[in-house]
Amino acid sequence: MISPIKIWRNQKKVIKLLNLKGEIISWTKIYVPPSGFEGQAPYMVVIAGLENGRRYTAQLVDWEERHLVLGQKVKTILRRTRNTDEESIIPYGIKFKPIE
Amino acid sequence: MNVTVLGASSTKFGELWQISPRDLVGRTVADTLLEADIPRRKIQAVIVGNMLSGILGGQEHLGAFFAEELNLKVPAVKVESACASGGMAVHTAVMAIISGLYETVLVVGVEKMTDYKPEELAQALMGAGSDVEREAGATFPALYAMMARVHMDKYQTTETDMAAVAVKNHLHASLNSQAHFPFRITVEQVLASPKVASPLKLLDCSPVTDGAASILLTKSAKIKNKRQVSIIASASSTDSLGLSERQSLDSIKATSIAAKKAFELSAVSPTEVDIAEVHDCFTIAEIMAMEDIGFYKKGEAAPAIREGKTGLNGRPVVNISGGLKASGHPVGATGVKQIVEIYHQLKGDSGKRQVSKARVGLSHNVGGSGASAVIHILKSFK
Repeated sequence: MISPIKIWRNQKKVIKLLNLKGEIISWTKIYVPPSGFEGQAPYMVVIAGLENGRRYTAQLVDWEERHLVLGQKVKTILRRTRNTDEESIIPYGIKFKPIE
Repeated sequence: MNVTVLGASSTKFGELWQISPRDLVGRTVADTLLEADIPRRKIQAVIVGNMLSGILGGQEHLGAFFAEELNLKVPAVKVESACASGGMAVHTAVMAIISGLYETVLVVGVEKMTDYKPEELAQALMGAGSDVEREAGATFPALYAMMARVHMDKYQTTETDMAAVAVKNHLHASLNSQAHFPFRITVEQVLASPKVASPLKLLDCSPVTDGAASILLTKSAKIKNKRQVSIIASASSTDSLGLSERQSLDSIKATSIAAKKAFELSAVSPTEVDIAEVHDCFTIAEIMAMEDIGFYKKGEAAPAIREGKTGLNGRPVVNISGGLKASGHPVGATGVKQIVEIYHQLKGDSGKRQVSKARVGLSHNVGGSGASAVIHILKSFK
């Protein structure tokens, strides 16, 4: 169970990070996940440099093989993050999506 | 700086389901005291290096926990700095001694990991990362994989180069009966092993290990008729908790800052180091460590390792114990075990894997993806 108060605090940061463009600085495909991500593996995690000058670590979704290169353009979107039990709040956070 | 090592030992590293953390510590401390040849009552403080006892085992308050086990009523405290907990425990003990408050301090490093399933361990270990990294579902193999990807792009480092690190460290571990994996492997086996976080594969990764190690330190002392080993530098540094905030992804700045400080403190240069135990939690980590400590320029470590320049007949001989990769990585014990290995090498009693004429040794212990690093330099005196 993820604490609702933590999610509430986190949402304020998430809003500021939405719909930013950036490019992939590094990437990896994770085959052995931590608890809460078992249903998603394998999945992509990337570090991207954002247009606001910051770097951010998040999953890459909606990708194809051709997107897996350093310098690939991406943008930040809102997505469900980890799996929780049926009665918990569903956590949403930042992920990246390739832009052509 | 001169802090004398009176004794040092470690337990067998491995999947030790039959032994509790309490017994692991009891065994290594008994061995260390036997070697130091001083009575238990001379111990004035105990520093315990450990990361996961609370989150995995539900046991905190490890200072009192192990003081009870050792039948001591002295100050005792747990030191945590993720995978550098062991090195940081040694650093803390050195501070306690050179401050003048305590004369003789016992350092214990311990971790019990194999009781838990991989997902639980991956989550617990991510306690050493940032909240953003946890939210992304990142793991430590994934963070080092992203460093590897940048190193490969910038310096043409290959997966075969990384495999050469694992092959070397397994060869060294084959000479160490206390290692988790005391057997050789081939480059082909590394390259064909299952992917964990691309480009890192299973045999690029250090294992999940149980184990304990301990050392007994005292203020500079002359020991009669024995080769004496001293810590002549103890240095540490930190950097951002998360990988994305770092200046560079192909090096670990905390390592280079701590190494520079340690070389200054000891007035030793990298070329004088005979043996080094470096933090090869992943194969790429050893390549970066060799560059960040200052043994090689950026981009030159991988070819040197491939050519055997850090193997048994090279200088410095790197990870003669088998390193984290093949000797095993019981997180809180690792940084202490590195000092144990160097101590015995400098004393000249390392048996089959003794490096000839080893006089100066360096240990390098990293926490998280490089958010903390601890370097020690040891020297032997007649």
